[in-house]
Amino acid sequence: MSLTAANTAIVVDSTADFPEAPTRFPNWRVVPLYVRFGDESHRDCVDLGPDEFYARLRTASELPTTSQPTPADFAAAYEELAGYERIYSVHISGKLSGTVASARTAAAEAGADQLRIVDSDTASAAIAMLGLAIQRRLERGTTDEEIDELVERYRREAGLLFTVDTLEFLARGGRIGRARALAGQMLNVKPILTIREGEVLPVKRVRGSQKAFMEFVRAFREGTPDAPGLRVGIAHADAPERAEALAELVARERPRAEIDVTTTLGAVIGTHAGPGTVGFFWFYDP
Amino acid sequence: MSELPHVRALVAGALAALDAAERRINDLNVYPVPDGDTGTNLKLTVSGIAEALEASTAWARADLARDVTRGALMAARGNSGVILSQIVRGAAEALARSDDLAAALRSASDAAYRGVGKPVEGTMLTVIRETAEAAERLDPPTLPQLVAAAQESVERTPEQLAVLKEAGVVDAGGAGLVEILRGLAAYVAGEPLPDPPAYEEEIGPEAVHQELSEFRYCTTVLLEGEELDGAAIERELEPLGDSLLVVGDPATLKIHVHTDDPGAVLSLAAARGTLESVEVANMHRQTAEREERLSDALAAEKTCEAVAVVAGAGNRRLFAGLGAGELIDGGRTMNPATQEILDAIERAPAPEAIVLPNNPNVIMSAEQAARHASKPVRVIPTRSLQEGLAALVAYDSSRSAEANLAEIFDALESVGTGAVTVSSRDSEPDGVAVRKGEWLGLVDGEVVVAAGEFDEAARAVLERLLAEPRDVVTLLAGEAAPALDAVRAWLEDEHPHVEVEVEDGGQPNYPLLVSAE
Repeated sequence: MSLTAANTAIVVDSTADFPEAPTRFPNWRVVPLYVRFGDESHRDCVDLGPDEFYARLRTASELPTTSQPTPADFAAAYEELAGYERIYSVHISGKLSGTVASARTAAAEAGADQLRIVDSDTASAAIAMLGLAIQRRLERGTTDEEIDELVERYRREAGLLFTVDTLEFLARGGRIGRARALAGQMLNVKPILTIREGEVLPVKRVRGSQKAFMEFVRAFREGTPDAPGLRVGIAHADAPERAEALAELVARERPRAEIDVTTTLGAVIGTHAGPGTVGFFWFYDP
Repeated sequence: MSELPHVRALVAGALAALDAAERRINDLNVYPVPDGDTGTNLKLTVSGIAEALEASTAWARADLARDVTRGALMAARGNSGVILSQIVRGAAEALARSDDLAAALRSASDAAYRGVGKPVEGTMLTVIRETAEAAERLDPPTLPQLVAAAQESVERTPEQLAVLKEAGVVDAGGAGLVEILRGLAAYVAGEPLPDPPAYEEEIGPEAVHQELSEFRYCTTVLLEGEELDGAAIERELEPLGDSLLVVGDPATLKIHVHTDDPGAVLSLAAARGTLESVEVANMHRQTAEREERLSDALAAEKTCEAVAVVAGAGNRRLFAGLGAGELIDGGRTMNPATQEILDAIERAPAPEAIVLPNNPNVIMSAEQAARHASKPVRVIPTRSLQEGLAALVAYDSSRSAEANLAEIFDALESVGTGAVTVSSRDSEPDGVAVRKGEWLGLVDGEVVVAAGEFDEAARAVLERLLAEPRDVVTLLAGEAAPALDAVRAWLEDEHPHVEVEVEDGGQPNYPLLVSAE
């Protein structure tokens, strides 16, 4: 079957940090996760935008909690896209959230063979970038096989680094895994982390934001070719100046790279990584 | 008459029980993702059923079953929620056909197993299956008996799933199932629903705890006799404690109660029959031990410990905060015995270690200790506390000693260190004329300035260190250090791009230690 942007839809969840997707592409939908402050439940990026979320996070007495969309939420999105022959539903790593399990339940319930559920093994803008790579193929015409290969290569090759102001948020949400080895918040230490095979892993820790930034530069130089087709994503939690600096870095180091997305980390990732988090993502897709 | 109000009340009972236990179940959650949300997910899933029933106008039982099933499925969150929705589906489908409780549980268990790709034992799957098996054995079962059977099944889960045993917990989803059954039983028995939980203020990784029972001893008695009257025994035991369960048949009763007076329980039971077996456990100790085990299991296992020689209370805190698990007090002279270093290496549970001597005179003792150690040890030849801290920043406890050595050498290359102290005599070290009592400034171990004012010496040291491009400067104030405000203000004016950290190190002999990287 030949897949195109006219007959194939893409569903991501709100942890892809790509809220403008449906306005940019008519074949995209975003299914929100939930963020709860006490007994108040909000749909991530729908009822609670990032700016409001970080404002509340600064003053909240108790940390918010998050939960995945229900199968019903996914079922509604899939129903809305019933006119498409194929739906790729691309989600945050199943090791970090139950979102993909919810999507699978909804898909099993729908029993339609139009649905393909993809565990991206990653998070945030990296999910959006995988969706965009699929979209580029749809726009020139593609097949399920080609998309399967793309997903496999993306899992293997896409690079990402992020740094958090403190590991406390990751630890609290149980998402810290082996990154716990970098615990220690003295002396303005910044842990540099990545996500591999769906898990948060430690890379190293350095002193201060400038050194963290230089570590990004080093990894970016080592991990990318200086060639057209290099795609970059930048995401920050309430730290636009850091995102700005990263964009300048990309322009300087890899002038031919294209910045796919620059985005604010939504409430769900924001809850688990904490304010001040900056993420940097790349994928070579000539 | 429609059974809708009855079913709504049943679900409300289950929901209230889950609500009361939500936090406890969340804390049990270590499998499959230790994200502490099983209680919340189960509660939200059951809330979905309650909401579906609120909207329902079903009259026939089959329609009710359909609404319940759909409500659970559509609200299912988390692995536990999804499995629960399958359990609900199985049970509802069977109950739509008959009142046979054992058949309903069997159907629930079958649906749950079908619902997961790779069934794992020691989870709520096991608990629903074993509860169904108990129901078939008892036939017809009562709800309190099923609660007891499910509870026993949950208690066996650590034997079936290693991760639970390591963490010293039972399966969270299974524990949730017990609460649901408990809530249903409470409603059917006409007992009041559990009070809504009092939410605690603090949350965090330390919330690894189980609510302490008011009573200290968990007492279990197996009683044999003739025509034992379980209900009568239950009434007699009631005033002695809580969590009371009396189950079994007239020939064999199992009694379980949490009490402060296990002796009274035993006398009472002995008057009714023969005590076949007795178990009394101190729950407060169990709880404390469990908390300890759970915290340990949640902390990552270290491959490599960092052993550091440190002086000053503030510095100890910094070294510990950066992950050095074994600190040796260097004292005023920073000269611990080789044996002290060796003891610290052997004391660390990690299979490998790095040693940070933090003084040129300790490096050889550290090497000596490393040679005699029973495990692989690498000495990082750090010559000062500041180098030691820089080394620790690059330390990663999940890597081998060898791998740490390589990473740390890289990091140390870009670190410059300085110090300010007071000269103890007239001399001319490194070509600088110094009078006794003057402030001495050192950079990388060499005297670079002698000055009458502390600030002047400190500025000269910083000037020298910042001649190279640097990003971060750390000032460690020692014992009886002069105020650092002026030095700090000067740094901000002259070197606005440098990130400055000031810490109270508390080291003797050096009022100021500086590092720049």
